[in-house]
Amino acid sequence: MDPVSTLPVLLGLAWLVPLASFTLIVLFGPRMGKAGIGAGYLATGAILTSAILSSFSLFFVWIPAYDMPEPSHPVAADSAHGGAHEAEVHDEAAHKEEHGDDDHGEQHAESSHGEHDGGHAHFDKPEIAGEWYTLGKFGSLRITIGYYIDSLTVMMFAMVTFIATCIHFYAIGYMHDELHDYVDHEVTLEDGQHLHRPGRFHRFFQYLSLFCFSMLGLVIAGNIAMVFVFWELVGICSYFLIGFYIERKSASNAANKAFIVNRVGDFGMIIGLMVIFATLGTFAFGDVDADGDGTPEPGIFSQVRSPENDYALVVPDGVIKAAAASEIAKGVEATPEQIQSWREDMEPGGVGRWAYWLMIIAGVGIFCGCVGKSAQFPLHVWLPDAMEGPTPVSALVHSATMVAAGVYLVGRFFPFFVPEVLLVIAIIGCITLFVAATIAITAVDIKRVLAYSTVSQLGYMMLALGVGGWSAGVFHLMTHAFFKSLLFMCSGSVIHAVHTNDMTHMGGLRKKMPWTAYTMLVGCLAIMGAGVPFTIGLSGHYSKDAILAQAMSFEAANPMLGWLFYVAAAGAAITAFYMFRLWFLTCAGEPRDKHRYDHAHESPKVMYVPLVILAVMAVIVGWSIYGTPVGIQKLLEQARPMGILTTAHGALLTDLVHPDEHLSHLEEFHVASTWYATLTGLAGLGLAIVFYGVRVLNPAEVANQFKRVYKFLVNKWYFDELYNVIFVKPVLLVSSRVADFDKKVIDGLIDTLAIGTRMIARLDDMIDRYFVDGLINAFAGWTYAVALWFRGAETGRLRQYVMFIVLGTVVLFILITFYLSAPLAPSLSTLEGRP
Amino acid sequence: MESSYMTLLSLIVFLPALGALALAFFPREKTETIKVFSLVVTAVVFLLTVVMALPGEGVWQFDTAVSDMQKVFSVGWIPSFNIDYFMGVDGISFPLVLLTTFITMLSMAASWPIEKHVKAYCMLFLVLETGVLGVFLALDFFLFYVFWEVMLLPMYFLIGVWGGPRREYAAIKFFLYTLLGGVFMLIAILMLYFASDLKLLNKDQLVAAHVISASAAAEEQEAQLAEIQSADDPVHTFNILALQQLGQHTEAFNSEILGKSLQWWAFLLLLVGFVIKVPSVPVHTWLPDAHVEAPTPISMILAGILLKLGGYGIIRICYPICPQAGYDLAYFVCALGVVSMVYGAFAALAQKDFKRLVAYSSVSHMGYVVLGIGVWSAVAGNNFNPDAWKMGMNGAMFQMIAHGVASPGMFFIVGIVYERVHHRNLDQFGGLFAKMPVYSGLAFVIFFAGLGLPGLCGFIGEVFVTLSVWTYSHALAVVAASVVILTAAYILWTLQRVYLGPEYKGPHGDHLTPITSRELAIAVPIAVFAIVLGVYPQSVFRYMTPSVDQTVDALAAWTEREKPAGEETQTAQRPAVEQTARVRLPHVNKTP
Repeated sequence: MDPVSTLPVLLGLAWLVPLASFTLIVLFGPRMGKAGIGAGYLATGAILTSAILSSFSLFFVWIPAYDMPEPSHPVAADSAHGGAHEAEVHDEAAHKEEHGDDDHGEQHAESSHGEHDGGHAHFDKPEIAGEWYTLGKFGSLRITIGYYIDSLTVMMFAMVTFIATCIHFYAIGYMHDELHDYVDHEVTLEDGQHLHRPGRFHRFFQYLSLFCFSMLGLVIAGNIAMVFVFWELVGICSYFLIGFYIERKSASNAANKAFIVNRVGDFGMIIGLMVIFATLGTFAFGDVDADGDGTPEPGIFSQVRSPENDYALVVPDGVIKAAAASEIAKGVEATPEQIQSWREDMEPGGVGRWAYWLMIIAGVGIFCGCVGKSAQFPLHVWLPDAMEGPTPVSALVHSATMVAAGVYLVGRFFPFFVPEVLLVIAIIGCITLFVAATIAITAVDIKRVLAYSTVSQLGYMMLALGVGGWSAGVFHLMTHAFFKSLLFMCSGSVIHAVHTNDMTHMGGLRKKMPWTAYTMLVGCLAIMGAGVPFTIGLSGHYSKDAILAQAMSFEAANPMLGWLFYVAAAGAAITAFYMFRLWFLTCAGEPRDKHRYDHAHESPKVMYVPLVILAVMAVIVGWSIYGTPVGIQKLLEQARPMGILTTAHGALLTDLVHPDEHLSHLEEFHVASTWYATLTGLAGLGLAIVFYGVRVLNPAEVANQFKRVYKFLVNKWYFDELYNVIFVKPVLLVSSRVADFDKKVIDGLIDTLAIGTRMIARLDDMIDRYFVDGLINAFAGWTYAVALWFRGAETGRLRQYVMFIVLGTVVLFILITFYLSAPLAPSLSTLEGRP
Repeated sequence: MESSYMTLLSLIVFLPALGALALAFFPREKTETIKVFSLVVTAVVFLLTVVMALPGEGVWQFDTAVSDMQKVFSVGWIPSFNIDYFMGVDGISFPLVLLTTFITMLSMAASWPIEKHVKAYCMLFLVLETGVLGVFLALDFFLFYVFWEVMLLPMYFLIGVWGGPRREYAAIKFFLYTLLGGVFMLIAILMLYFASDLKLLNKDQLVAAHVISASAAAEEQEAQLAEIQSADDPVHTFNILALQQLGQHTEAFNSEILGKSLQWWAFLLLLVGFVIKVPSVPVHTWLPDAHVEAPTPISMILAGILLKLGGYGIIRICYPICPQAGYDLAYFVCALGVVSMVYGAFAALAQKDFKRLVAYSSVSHMGYVVLGIGVWSAVAGNNFNPDAWKMGMNGAMFQMIAHGVASPGMFFIVGIVYERVHHRNLDQFGGLFAKMPVYSGLAFVIFFAGLGLPGLCGFIGEVFVTLSVWTYSHALAVVAASVVILTAAYILWTLQRVYLGPEYKGPHGDHLTPITSRELAIAVPIAVFAIVLGVYPQSVFRYMTPSVDQTVDALAAWTEREKPAGEETQTAQRPAVEQTARVRLPHVNKTP
């Protein structure tokens, strides 16, 4: 099958089926079967259809159609590296010429290119880009709904729909309480009763379907604006799902918090979007022939990394022109030569430097969005609160898919990020992974432990991407999705059985619910990265190794930033510790709450079968398909953006080096990092056994010993309190001041003006009455008096009247003749002149 | 042709007034009949505009391929002052006309609960519609002004008689604010009128301004031209299109008054008049009071339509007639927009009254309109590339339509619950989702449209405007982008306080009955439009973009002529005025 024509249709369908399900449930949800149970079947059927379409696309359309790149990992595999390295060598040489800085280059060239003959064909990353329709078109600027499909897209589709299907099935069991009237024990009404309300089964699946649609839209998006559209939509689905129990104040608060904190990230993302749109004039990832003239217009990626530059990152012309606006305004023509000379003007205040800064602003802006969505420090605070939502939601939205969207976007947008931006990403990721891991140690709410674990793992992915490990980071995104959704669903199964989130009330559950307990153990082992070094392991084993190896390789190139690696390694130990703490507290040992333990029971089949499936996936997903070399890592190599497989140097931080990801396969890094990962993992596991397994040490005593640290961690580093003081309170204060300003100052002014006008009017009235009217009245009186006086002349005698007229006429004539002759003269003359 | 255009547009504008006249003969106590009749009138007017919107080539159909004015007709009205009954429609006015007839119809349907002086209410209501439609369609500045004032008085009474407890205060505040704006506008109109001179325009420009009929034979055109050219005194005009030509192609409005050019003052006066209507901070305080006191349908009209007159005036009049002033004051205008966005959002966050909150959200959302119109990014440094500005202005226009759909929806949503429990205190709601699920679902859709959620109408306008700003000013762009946080905060917090939670906390809880079918008939179309516009914005852009683009292109071309590269942009305005003074055309000098 021709992937170019079939994939957009197949994946487009897979994307739209959940939307259809959502629409139907909105319109007919409550009438679908008894208490809306049909809604659950409809939504599940829809996502199952999507999953089948996606898997078909992956296994029967994509994989057969496109060649895999040459094997990349063991470096010893001679002549392994394709043409991408050609480009890199080239770039390296050019770099040496420019900077005269050859330390890294040397090491690089020796290590990986010693043997290879360079005769391989250039590997072009397969991708399919196109548009469905236009939202708006302004001159040459267009905002569209389109698609960009590469193996990452197809894999994400398969992964998201697969996990979503498992979770839909699971949720049919988990949400069965909602099929009849529901008593919410967490809500107490004013009369002291618990809240009784009708079930909302259909509404849950309605939101899930909308979420699946939004998430798939985000993945298939052909441009960054469309990503933003679905970014917001998954956000609102998350809002609805977190606040599913709308009667609970804590749930609606958490929902608001999630959305608003995400909006803070989106604020940065919008700035990034603005810069990109204003400078590059497009949002499209790939090259799409929008105007139908036969030549595709370059998208963002080919503007930043054009084939002419061997896919090396070069500040695009559009950015240079935008940075040179003041020069152009002076009349300097932006010829290609001029643009090149501007580009090289990296002096402080130079055009090239400002253009480079624009690249940084755009990159960090986009990353801000990812910080919000993927709950990275400092915007991680919403994710633990988001656990107010039902557990299937936590498994799907808040661990496997939506929160990973930030990582996905960093991966997708990777070609755009200059090394300085990557450094920011790495540092944020590193801080996040550490902060979250430490908080997870002391949390007692089972879902919160997993939430912090998610934050921490997302931090790992960001760190991996930030140190240049593109495939390591995205690989971990894939593996993590499986084992973390598994862990969440296991925790849901536990909560379902004991009706509490508090791990201090659990214990010994493995006897009562073996399926749950042992699948959970698999999840714990996977997240810890268990495996036999260099032989075989669970999925997390491969991805975590890859991350640590790249971090190590980064450390070797940038000794100043070595702490990134050490923190990551320490984090691995902490991860193993808190995960097994969780497992021991819930499943092992003696039951701590007899009553709850007695009522506990294994979950129904519809819930534990998905657990088993996911457990199997958590084990094998890092492996290649049996009998072929095709596996996730291979597919990721195929999806690797053009030109990133190279050692990159910062332009502002000239010491910053991002080593080629293939260097991490060198023995010195690969072997060492595997040992680090294994040993730190074992150390964490060992500690957990000491504290919670065989209980040699009493955790309470240790907590007491380190009281301040413990308190600090229990209070989650006081982030919520801090944000309350520095953001929430000031905003509310400003808003009340603004409202006051309106009422007191502006309206005060208006009202004062009005009062003033009325006073002036009254004054006017008084003047009128006493002065003007007085005058008029006086005048009238005087006239009256004169008239009275004149009345004396009115005698009634005709002769006397005629006498007056004659006298008057004579006087008038005398006056005219002697006094008014000049002005009247012309008029008289004209009178005379008339015939 | 012209006569059928005249029939069409006059019918649209005056049918409501005729309806009002007919209502005069209805017996006062037949309230139901009066309401039905008024609804039918508004529905007929709406259908007329829908017929215009249908695709097709007919005389009555709006032609989306034309960016110029269409359906233009002109007949003399007061010849001694060159005042004509001169109307036409283009892509800027047409969507607003459609919005007006649509929202008016829905508001009429929402007027059923009105029991007091129904006949007078309906008559004023219909006269109001005539006034608004007249403003959108008038192309003669004097006619424009007349309609502007015609619309003012009914509104005053509708708030002042049918309003809430403080209605007199609110009505007089509304009246005085708007009247003040109207007075400024009148001064500016007269300034422009007396400075205008058709003799300065060449034949093409006169044809473009419809002073000389385009369809006339060549000899006749020459004769008309000769007649204008042969006049002894300047030929003043109120023709808005001719004033645009004069503003963009001649020096007619550049004479100096008090150290600034005439057009600078005219622009400022007009702008004040229009931003009072928008309203922008700091002349917005009439809005919350007017909304709080006005009955629900009047709030819907006020928010949905009347505010748009301000934005329309800025697009149609301020910038095209006074480009030099617009160029000099562009930053001021944009800053006004941004300040309104931020200020309105902050103020909304602090409100306790549901309706007042929605009113402040209008201030914030209409700030996008002012901002989008003003982003004059087609300058030398950008090679006079008008694209970003086009995006801003199209976004602003779209935002007007989007807000015109969402905001009446929000007021209606508030009205539904107010009618049941007779209070609007946000702290005394809660739990409405359980009691009124369908209503609450619609409320969420409509409020999310206001929040700017993708897939709903608010998103397109807000995002397009915001994205266009960076090219013009980085600082304003960043501040404008930050408003998304505040908007999310006040809308979500409101939804939480009203709809979520375990139980209703206020009085009359037992009156919270599910939404009625009449209310559904109003709220559902609004929600549907909010979704359609958000998912398929081309449905509106296809009408507006050609005309908006042409407006921007004309201004960009003006910039390229008057502010070419190489000139220092900062000091440009000063020499320009001096130059104007020097080059001032002889007969302008002779005028006094």
